[in-house]
Amino acid sequence: MVASSPFALEIDDLAKLYEGADQPALDGVSLRIRRGEIFGLLGPNGAGKTTAISILSTIMQPSSGRVAVCGIDSLKHPRQVRRRIGLVPQDIALYPELTAWENLAYLGRLQGLGGRHLKARIQNVLQAVGLEQSAHQKINTYSGGMKRRANLAAGMLHEPRVLFLDEPTIGIDAQSRQLIMEKLQAIKKSGATIIYTTHYMEEAQQLCDRLAIIDKGRILVLGTPAEVMAGHPHCDNLGELFLELTGRALRD
Amino acid sequence: MKQFIATACKELLLLRRDRSGLLVLFFMPAVLVLVITLVQENVLKTMGETGTDILFLDQDRGMVGQRMTAALSEADGVVLVNTLDGRQPDKATALQAVARGDFQLCLYIPKGMTSAVKAKARRAALRALSMTGESDDPSPDAELEVYFDPTVMGGFRSAVKHMLHLMVMQIEVQEKLDQVAVLLPEKFQSALEEALGPMAAGMPAGSSPDFNLQWTSEPIIKIREASALETAAVKMPTAVQQNVPAWSLFGIFFIVLPMAGSFIKERLYGVEQRILSMPVSYLAIVAGKAAAYMLVCWVQFGLILIIGKVLLPLMGSPAFELGSAASLTVVLVAFSAILGATGYGILLGTVARSYEQASMFGPISIVIAAALGGIMVPVYAMPVLMQKISVVSPLAWAQNAFLELFVRGGDLQAVMPQVALLMIFASACVGTASLLFIRRIRKGRF
Repeated sequence: MVASSPFALEIDDLAKLYEGADQPALDGVSLRIRRGEIFGLLGPNGAGKTTAISILSTIMQPSSGRVAVCGIDSLKHPRQVRRRIGLVPQDIALYPELTAWENLAYLGRLQGLGGRHLKARIQNVLQAVGLEQSAHQKINTYSGGMKRRANLAAGMLHEPRVLFLDEPTIGIDAQSRQLIMEKLQAIKKSGATIIYTTHYMEEAQQLCDRLAIIDKGRILVLGTPAEVMAGHPHCDNLGELFLELTGRALRD
Repeated sequence: MKQFIATACKELLLLRRDRSGLLVLFFMPAVLVLVITLVQENVLKTMGETGTDILFLDQDRGMVGQRMTAALSEADGVVLVNTLDGRQPDKATALQAVARGDFQLCLYIPKGMTSAVKAKARRAALRALSMTGESDDPSPDAELEVYFDPTVMGGFRSAVKHMLHLMVMQIEVQEKLDQVAVLLPEKFQSALEEALGPMAAGMPAGSSPDFNLQWTSEPIIKIREASALETAAVKMPTAVQQNVPAWSLFGIFFIVLPMAGSFIKERLYGVEQRILSMPVSYLAIVAGKAAAYMLVCWVQFGLILIIGKVLLPLMGSPAFELGSAASLTVVLVAFSAILGATGYGILLGTVARSYEQASMFGPISIVIAAALGGIMVPVYAMPVLMQKISVVSPLAWAQNAFLELFVRGGDLQAVMPQVALLMIFASACVGTASLLFIRRIRKGRF
């Protein structure tokens, strides 16, 4: 693989079997995600979404398979890959006792930013997520929506080429969700790639260029929202298709 | 390096905002060292372990007072005080001072004591030389009055009374011999007159024998004191020398609670996951965190030393003494203890799954290690079995090293085994934590 690859992400036969587990969390997943694409990864609880995001963001090693980010083998050169990616975890991965500014200043320094550039980037991302007025408020005083926006700002701070978002809009108000959607579109326009997991089907249908529904570690369906729906004409919307593919049984 | 410094600064900022954490780290050991030292000082005082302060009231101003003063001044650990606020107190004031605990006892020599002693000694000498047949002694009793602080313990009280009995006996023997020396020529003369009759009239009267009374205080039978244990005699620390290093170590090791909490919170908040996806070595993050807590430990250590040096003397305790130890050796021991504590903090933060687990197990393990390590009760005061068990406690290693330096005049070589043990302990903790961390990440438990 070369750095000039047209793909932001190349995944070949990715598998992950946790120690002591009977079933693999990921079972031979192969995928190509183009640069500048918003890609939705949908699936019920335990489908393997978070495992996939963890491997793609270099936190975890797969049992087998190959991953390249922006043409760089992430298993061989994780540090190089990390310079190009951003992660917005499902949790509000910020220090509640620090202000948004302090959180971003620290995380920015870990990304290698500093000085006036860091300051400018912090101002920029806080403005982008509408938190410039409350930049010096502690995170634990923020509303749920503000926390989610601050979480997104931390992921955007170092202008990553590939941004992984694990359910970034869970449990927030409509206004914050709308703002996050707009920001994701803006990030896409800047040329960055977004890999995005969510349980909100209408959100995925509205935002994603392409999506995959996975369950039990395997991709069940892959394509643009229109292509996916076209393959299942009896389903009225993505939500119905999701239930048809993954079943109606409750998942823990 | 940039990330290391950023992490250390962030951690210090978080600590500054954690008021309860700061209380645990600074206020708790500071209060403990003050309270425990003052309490132990008082207990040791009532047991006579800290020396004996005697308020000495001599209304007689004669031979008995002079000899008692001379004898008590030579006794080990006895401090004689004759005045209160620059003047000699009356008996009632003196007794109030003793009852308040200012002195362990008051020795009161009433007026006429010397003449009573002399009279009684003369009568005893007369009886001994069969120069009088009277057994009834009309002279007043010579009573030395001793008033103890009511809190003074029985054993110490008996020891003091025994010491006074010996002194009184020495004065008695001396005075009786003086009287014998005076009466002996008379006795010879009358014996000669009785045996020789008128022939003795021309014989010269014998002079008084000059007794050298030094021998009365020279023991013929000596008592040798030794420990029943085969170990070498160890110099015991005072309450201050024991407690200042002990509670500073307790404070240092209590760093494990906020430190482990910091790791756990990062994990629970998802910050750890975010950091792991960044182009930074996690080792730099852990090192930065450890550096912040190590800095806090140094501040704690300095604070407790200042309390020992400055505050405790203001409250009536002796000042903490660093002894003859080289400063660098003290720094090395403190550094190894701090390293051990931070290593344990890293391990606890990795093993514990929740803050509740860490906040329960961390303090309990530290309190047990402190109890075993001679922090609360000196190791020498423990039963032999507990003394043997205490060698497993890192706090015992650190405390022993400090006592070696501050009390027994030890040097670098003397503390190297303890320093090495603490370093090995720190390495073992960090090594185990690393293995557990890698295993956890492999299992996908963020």
